[in-house]
Amino acid sequence: MRSPVLPLTWHLAKASGRRGFQSQLLAAAAAAVGSLVLLTLLAAYLGAGARADRTAWRTPAPDRHGTAIQALATTYARDEPITVVSLAQLPHRAPTPAPPGLNSFPKQGDWYVSPALARLLHTLPPTQLADRFPKSTPYGTIGAAGLASPDELVAVIGRAPTDPAVSKSADRQGIYDDGLTARSVVSGFAGTRRSVFTVDDQAAVLLGVGLLVVPVVVLAAAAGRLGAARREQRLAALRLAGATPRQILAMTGVEAAAVGAAGALAGAVAYGALLPALAEVPYGIGTWYVGQLWVGLPWVAAVVAGVAALIAVSAMSTLRQVASSPLGVAQQSDPRRTRLIRLVMFVAVLVYIRVSTHGSTLKPGTLVALMVLFYGAFWMFGPWLVDRLGRVVGRFARRPATLLAARRLSDDPRGAWRTVSGLVLAGFVAGFFTVGLLGIVGLDHRGQVAVPTANAAEARHAVGEARRLLGAAGVDATVGTNDDGFLLGGTDGVVAHVSGGPAALDTAVTVLQPLGAGRLPYAGAYAEAQDAAVSDRLAQLGTATLAVSFLVATASAGLTAAANVLDRRRTYGLLRLSGTPLKVLDRARVRETVLPLLVLAGGTTATGLYAAVQVNKAAGTTISTSGAVQLAVCVTLGALAMLAAIGASRPLLRAVTADPARATD
Amino acid sequence: MSAVLAGVGLVKKYGSTTALAGVDVEVGARDSVAIMGPSGSGKSTLLHTLAGIIRPDGGQVLLRGDRIDDLGENRLSALRRKRFGFVFQSGQLLPELPAEENVALPLMLEGLPRAQAVERARRWFAPLGLDGLELRRPGQLSGGQAQRVAIARALAVAPDVVFADEPTGALDQATGTEVVRLLTSVTREQGAALVMVTHDAEVAAHCDRVLRVRDGRISNYSQFTVS
Repeated sequence: MRSPVLPLTWHLAKASGRRGFQSQLLAAAAAAVGSLVLLTLLAAYLGAGARADRTAWRTPAPDRHGTAIQALATTYARDEPITVVSLAQLPHRAPTPAPPGLNSFPKQGDWYVSPALARLLHTLPPTQLADRFPKSTPYGTIGAAGLASPDELVAVIGRAPTDPAVSKSADRQGIYDDGLTARSVVSGFAGTRRSVFTVDDQAAVLLGVGLLVVPVVVLAAAAGRLGAARREQRLAALRLAGATPRQILAMTGVEAAAVGAAGALAGAVAYGALLPALAEVPYGIGTWYVGQLWVGLPWVAAVVAGVAALIAVSAMSTLRQVASSPLGVAQQSDPRRTRLIRLVMFVAVLVYIRVSTHGSTLKPGTLVALMVLFYGAFWMFGPWLVDRLGRVVGRFARRPATLLAARRLSDDPRGAWRTVSGLVLAGFVAGFFTVGLLGIVGLDHRGQVAVPTANAAEARHAVGEARRLLGAAGVDATVGTNDDGFLLGGTDGVVAHVSGGPAALDTAVTVLQPLGAGRLPYAGAYAEAQDAAVSDRLAQLGTATLAVSFLVATASAGLTAAANVLDRRRTYGLLRLSGTPLKVLDRARVRETVLPLLVLAGGTTATGLYAAVQVNKAAGTTISTSGAVQLAVCVTLGALAMLAAIGASRPLLRAVTADPARATD
Repeated sequence: MSAVLAGVGLVKKYGSTTALAGVDVEVGARDSVAIMGPSGSGKSTLLHTLAGIIRPDGGQVLLRGDRIDDLGENRLSALRRKRFGFVFQSGQLLPELPAEENVALPLMLEGLPRAQAVERARRWFAPLGLDGLELRRPGQLSGGQAQRVAIARALAVAPDVVFADEPTGALDQATGTEVVRLLTSVTREQGAALVMVTHDAEVAAHCDRVLRVRDGRISNYSQFTVS
């Protein structure tokens, strides 16, 4: 016999009218936001890896029997890194293939630059940048295949094999050169080492994805619960009419999955449409090529299916009560209490973390793992805390709105927790990332330019020449071989202390180039590149995590608030009819969110700060005060955005209570 | 002698359908009036119009001689809160509040401190046979108990008029009879008037008078005299 589930589900969905359609629309919107965010996170992860791979060709892979010499150098202009790849075809060897982004191997004297570097060359005076490069011929352009980002600054220069820029002295020498300077004989460009500026990108994104997945899953799960009350009533009636629990679950699953799939598909379409805009969001070395952010159809299909499945499972889990006790749900007799085991587990995790961190220096990685453990434990603890908060506030509430809000909290603590969990956990993440790891201690290299030389004698000789070159260029500087700031990193060379701003520094780097015998002069940014790459990514990760968390939390709060209005429209209508002012109902709704938000978001943000302090202690770094300010601003803005999202359903509340006579129907 | 509540020449139309076609009605203190009629006759429209929930297209509604149908929404809302009580078929109790807080809520909305509001609310439980159920939530009460809590809530603000819309519609016969007996007697004891819509003749029989509505008109209107 043919199953009645599908036709009955379709019939009920059609018959649910405007009210049912509104709930389904909200659920679909939540699914759309969920799939859009998940696809964006996935795109960032895969894209970060793809574009890091595009930098690998620049680091030479040694081949004793190679056909060309490749030298990697890194110079800076306005504190932005410029990757310089020097190539020299060896005589009497087979032709070397073209590097990525070029049509042929560059001949001696040819040079190519990325479009962004071309723009910078036009922007800055030649004495500050262009004079570092060959002047003989006009340059060509490096194609996208050789670049990781449209903003990347890259130059490829064809040299003679005898050119100092590809000589052995151009190879790695000092402690700062790792990943920035290298030289080798090569036979091609199948390098495997990602550049210093991209190597940590994917790992940082993965960490962010790990932290953001929970709020996104919560949003999708909330979508499954949208309209739950109406659906519970409807299906409880079906159950009373004789439908089997299996049929009830199947009908719910089919309806929720269909709505979820439609929403997730809309989110996927939005992701596709937003790709050009997403590609303009800078991360690490800059903006993206659109193709780098396209995850491919299999991933799109997987995310859509995953979101739809999540929503279906969430919707079905809310109906377990209907299946087991239809009368209980129909009469709403079961307060959704939380158990003490949640507190016990949370305390156990806290004790474990305390014992693990006490009296020993832990690696930051271990502490991050502990942080994730805490994150999970708080997820268990949150509803219990909301329940207790509701009871305490309910006991002392003086105003009707506060009493209503408190009773709602303890009536459905899990629901209240879901509404605020996004921002609460975002506060934790934000507290950790915006404050932690940002204040990395470093030596002060401000205003200094280092020129590495082959040996100490050359360094002494270069001092006078450096003074002459700087003087001729109008740069006010003191020059010596004394390296108090350890900018030379243990190699011989000259250090110039330059007065003036970035322009003077860039001019000094440019005019001192001839003294380096193949090595490019550099300033503090070169020496700090490794640390800066890590701290910059973490700072960006903190900001991005905050932004996405707030987006998800705001969507979650707004959708849940709207769904609650629709689910409780009859109660609201009857209260209005009895003369309860709209503002009391509205205040109760807002306080329902604000109460746990104030307590929990404040608590988790403080805990995130504490975790950040612990990480900084372990890593020997300092707390970033600017990060703390950023955190405060962001959490405040996030809270305001959530309140605005809840406020956005005020017209809906007004509309559903506008005709109180209908509430009695 | 004057009516507590009066509707004079009430007219209400929904598009081309006339729900009330010039209804006159008066209700006195301690008076209980049942409004009966077939579906679509206009009985619920009459109750909602008298209660200031919907505005008539014609005629006037007077509460102790003062016209109320032309008041602004905020004042009407305040009037419903302070001077009227409502009992519906079901669903008027907030499921998350215990019974005593459901009863105390209108008093708190009027600005009474919570402790006093709850104390006053509790006074209603024994007379209505709800002793010991103060902390139960609506879902933990039987249908009859929940309706008695709703009656307590309607009367807690000492209203001039209690409006009841099918108050026994969701109850069995015996429970319904018990609830309506309590509703009429307690309302009378409190000096309030009762206007009740019902389709059940046995329920209507508990009221002092029965108004039968048909096609938007009262078919058996009888002049009321204050006792």
